[in-house]
Amino acid sequence: MERYSEFRYSLKIFFSNPTAVAGFIIFMLYVIDALIVQFDPRLLGISNPNVLQMNFVNPIPQPPSPKHPLGTTYPGIDLLHAIEAAIRFDLYYSIIVVLSGAALGAVLGIISGYVGGLLDDVIMRITDIFFAIPYLVLAIAIGFVLGRTYESMVIGLVIVWWPLYARYARAQTLSIKRMPFIDAAKISGVRDLKIMFKHILPNVLPPIFVQISLDLGSIMVIFSVLAFIGLIPNASIPELGYLTSLGLSYIESAPWAVIFPGLAITLFALAVNLMGDGLRDVIDPRRRSS
Amino acid sequence: MKLWLFILKRIIYAIITLIGLTFMVFALLHVGGNNLLLATYLNPRLTGPAREEMIKELVQRFHLNDPIYVQYFYWLKALLSGNLGYTNTPIYSGPVTTAIVLFLPNTVMLTIVAAILIWIIGIPLGVYSAVKRDSIGDHTIRVITFTLYAMPIYLIAVILILIFGIYLKILPYSFPVNPILAASLPWYKNGISYPTHIVPLDALIHGNLIVFWSALRHAILPSLTLALAIVAGVIRLLRAQMLEVLEQDYVRLARAKGVPEKVVINLHARRNALIPVVTSYGYTVAGLLGGAVVVESIFNYPGIGYWTTQALLNDDVGGIMAATLIFGVVFVMASLILDIVYAILDPRIRY
Repeated sequence: MERYSEFRYSLKIFFSNPTAVAGFIIFMLYVIDALIVQFDPRLLGISNPNVLQMNFVNPIPQPPSPKHPLGTTYPGIDLLHAIEAAIRFDLYYSIIVVLSGAALGAVLGIISGYVGGLLDDVIMRITDIFFAIPYLVLAIAIGFVLGRTYESMVIGLVIVWWPLYARYARAQTLSIKRMPFIDAAKISGVRDLKIMFKHILPNVLPPIFVQISLDLGSIMVIFSVLAFIGLIPNASIPELGYLTSLGLSYIESAPWAVIFPGLAITLFALAVNLMGDGLRDVIDPRRRSS
Repeated sequence: MKLWLFILKRIIYAIITLIGLTFMVFALLHVGGNNLLLATYLNPRLTGPAREEMIKELVQRFHLNDPIYVQYFYWLKALLSGNLGYTNTPIYSGPVTTAIVLFLPNTVMLTIVAAILIWIIGIPLGVYSAVKRDSIGDHTIRVITFTLYAMPIYLIAVILILIFGIYLKILPYSFPVNPILAASLPWYKNGISYPTHIVPLDALIHGNLIVFWSALRHAILPSLTLALAIVAGVIRLLRAQMLEVLEQDYVRLARAKGVPEKVVINLHARRNALIPVVTSYGYTVAGLLGGAVVVESIFNYPGIGYWTTQALLNDDVGGIMAATLIFGVVFVMASLILDIVYAILDPRIRY
C-alpha cells in the first residue's frame, strides 16, 4: 500500500512539471508514430517503411504543397512519409543502444563497486579505456570488421556507451553498500550474488533510468551524425541523418530538405531531455524542493 | 598521498589507456583488414608469379603472418621512431606524418577560435542568466541553450549557412579561402597553403591582405558552428553553479557589508562558479575535435577531421590508426591535465 502511494506521489510530481509533461507527450507521439509504421504503415500512406520511395521522374526537391506537406528531397522522396518511417528506424536503434549499454554497464558497475579491491581497479581501468574511444573511430573500426551496416554501428555505439552507466552504477553501489540493510543481509547469510542483484540493483536502477531517458536523444543525434557523414553506404534506408545529407547539395534552392529531417531529431532530443529532467526531479528529493 | 605520486599514478593510467585504446582499434582493423592492406599496396595489374612474389614481400614487410599482438608491437615500434605508415585518400596520399603536419594546423586554428568564442559567448550569458533569474532574458537564454544542446551539429551548421551564407549573403560557407582568389597564389597548392598550412597566417606571412581577409571570413562559420555546439553546455553548467554560489553565506556576507553588487558577482561569485566549468572544459576540447570531423566535411575545410572522414570512407588503415591515436591522445591528455590541475586546486581529490 505504501509503495503504491509513493508511486502515485512520484507521478504527481512528474505531472505537475509542465515542461516534463510536454516532453513526455512529444516522446509518446514519436513512439506512437513508430508503432503505427511498424504495424500498419498504410494508415500513414506508407507502402514500404523499410525502403525510401524514390521518384526519378521528378527528382529535384519540391517545396511543401498539399500533396507533399513537408515538400520533397532528392530524388523525389516525400519528406513527410520518409520522416515518419525514419522515426521508427532511429527510435528502434537508439533504444537498443541505450538499453544494452545500460544493462552491460549496470552489471559491471555493480560487480566492480560491490566486490571492490583489485577487480574494481581492473574494471575501472578498462572502463577508462573504453571511455576514451571516440565513437566515430570505433564505429568505423567495427564497420570494418562486421561490414558497414546499422547493426554494426549499434555494436560500436554500445561499446562506447556502457562505461558511462558503469560509472554511475559503481558510484551508486558504493554508497548503498554501506547501508545497514546490506549488512543485515550479509549477516543473515544471503549470498553475494543475491545481494548484488536483488538488493542493490533495484536501488541502482532509478538514476540509470533517468540517464537512459537523457541519453536516448544523444544517441539518436550521434546515430544520425554517423549516417550523415556517410558511414553507412546502403542508400535507400529511411534514416533521419541520411535524409538530411540527401538535401545538403540543394541547400540553396531547397532549405526544407535539410531543415525538416534535422528538426525531427532536434525535437526528439529536446523532448527526452525535458522528460529526463522531470524524472530526475522525481527521484532526487534535493531538486524536488527547489 | 603525495602530489607527485598522484601525478605519476595518473600518467601511468594515461599510458595504459592509450595502449589499450590503440591495441583495440589495431586488432579490430587487422582482423578484417589484412586483405584491405594488401589491396592498398598491391598493383592490380600485376598477375601470375610476380603477383605471388609481391604478396609474399608485403606479408613479410607488414608481418602479416605474425599474431596480432606481435604486429601491434611492430606498429608501436614504428610509431616511436616516428613512422606512422601510409595513407591513401582522394585528398592526400603519402606518409601519415606529412598528412598530420598538413591538416592538423587548420583544425588547431578552428578549435582555438571556437574555444575563444565559447568563453566570449558562454561566460557573460551564463552569469547574466543566473543573476537575472526568471527574467525574460534568462528564459530566452535557457530556451536557446536547451535547443542548441539537443541539435545535431550538422543542423547548427546548416542553419548558420542558411542565415549568413544564403539569405544575408554576408559570409562564405565553403573552402578555407575564396577559390578564385587562391587559384593565382603560388603558395597555395591543392587546397593546402604553405609554409604554416594555416591560410590566414600564411597570407599575413606573404603580405597578401586581400587573401587574409577572405581566409578570415571563411573561418568564421566553421568555428562559430563548433562554438555553438559546445557553448550550450557551458552556459547551463555556469548558470547552475552561479545560482548555487550566490546562495552561499560568504556572498551574503559580502552583500551585507555593502560590497557593490557588480563586485560581488564578478569577483566573489563568478570565480568560484567557474571552477567546475573549467574542469569540464577539457572534455569540451575533446568534443571540439569530434565536432571538427563533421564541421570540416560540411564546410570543405581541409583539417584533420576532413582527412579522417576521407580515410574512414576509403577504408584507409593507416589513416584510421593515426586518427585513433590523435583523438585518443588529445582526450587522454586533456583528462590527465585536468586531473592534475584539479588535484592541485582541491587536495581532497587525491584520496
